[in-house]
Amino acid sequence: MSDARDLEALMTRYQRGEIEAFDELYRALARPLLQYLTALCRDSVQARDLLQDAFLQMHRARRSYRPGLPVRPWVFAIARHVWLMDRRTRSRRPAASNELPDLPVPAEVERLADRQALARALSNVTADRREALLLHHVWGFSFAEIGQLLGIRADAAKLRSSRGMADLRRELRTQ
Amino acid sequence: MTFDENIPAPDALRARIAQDLAPVSPLPPPSRRVLVLLPIALSLLYGSVWIFGLRRDAPALGLLLTWGASLAEMCLGLILCAAALREAVPGTTLSRRMIGGAFVTSVLGVVLVTWLTWLTSPTRIAPEALAWVWTACLGATVLTALPPLAFTGWLVARAFPLRPAIAGALYGLGSGLMADAGWRLFCHFSDPTHVFGAHVVGIAVACGVGVGLAKGMRGTGR
Repeated sequence: MSDARDLEALMTRYQRGEIEAFDELYRALARPLLQYLTALCRDSVQARDLLQDAFLQMHRARRSYRPGLPVRPWVFAIARHVWLMDRRTRSRRPAASNELPDLPVPAEVERLADRQALARALSNVTADRREALLLHHVWGFSFAEIGQLLGIRADAAKLRSSRGMADLRRELRTQ
Repeated sequence: MTFDENIPAPDALRARIAQDLAPVSPLPPPSRRVLVLLPIALSLLYGSVWIFGLRRDAPALGLLLTWGASLAEMCLGLILCAAALREAVPGTTLSRRMIGGAFVTSVLGVVLVTWLTWLTSPTRIAPEALAWVWTACLGATVLTALPPLAFTGWLVARAFPLRPAIAGALYGLGSGLMADAGWRLFCHFSDPTHVFGAHVVGIAVACGVGVGLAKGMRGTGR
């Protein structure tokens, strides 16, 4: 995972108009963003499309990033917005896929079962709890950052994450 | 697909980014951006007094319930506009509790000032002037809210509001409060039915206009 300070410096260079800074930002952020989008939409092909859209929106919004603030909450918020807009459009169309995507797994539970079983258990956790759980345990967001990203209080984010972890452990026991 | 693979930046995306990669200056923090509204807020505060004069019951109300209450209302309006500017930056959105708190504080503030003003100096409108005064106060509140609404709307649109309706409601309410802060310094009718029926309705209309404006202006400032 890229250092937060490196990302801030890259973002500042990107705002100055350096295409190399965009390339480096893409390399640093594409993978966690793709994981996040896959966890949200549960469709890896769709997540790839959303990823491109998220980077385009990030480009349009680059002025709104303030140097000194962490980059990842800003980028993840834009990606989440892209997913929400897409979901709104898709709600008028039938669901495309029922595949089980390759969800990222929190390190705390990695030893409890094999990866397939963990991903299956994780996909059974409710969407809002899963999102808070992954943001905290996989991508290392603080609860305050999760709160600002999701529009909830920090303690509500903590509650969602801990309930998500409890649900995940329960799912693993029942499997 | 697995997450272990390297994801290269697609050429098409890179080309689109490169095509439009003009340098941009980052936006200052909301607390600094809101300061550009200060001249508008102050002119609203002094404008009605300068044009129409201070309310007739000002000596009975005292400094605190005239200028003090209006200054507090103006500050609350500016804080709401700053909250809208913060809401417009991705990753720093406000929690539901903060948004709810802002609206409840505004309502309680207006109710408290109205109640204290009515207790200190109860003034009713003559029945024959009721319609005229109602139209004038409602119209003036909405009209004077338009400059801060338009300006904050532009500032918000220059950022990247992910929830434009919420940002619009916040700066609409803030603009309405700033407008009322000035107009109440001239309007001496403290009857709560008039204050809530005309002034507060004017603030609510400004709030609604803010929602519409933010949704309509989304993306225009980028």
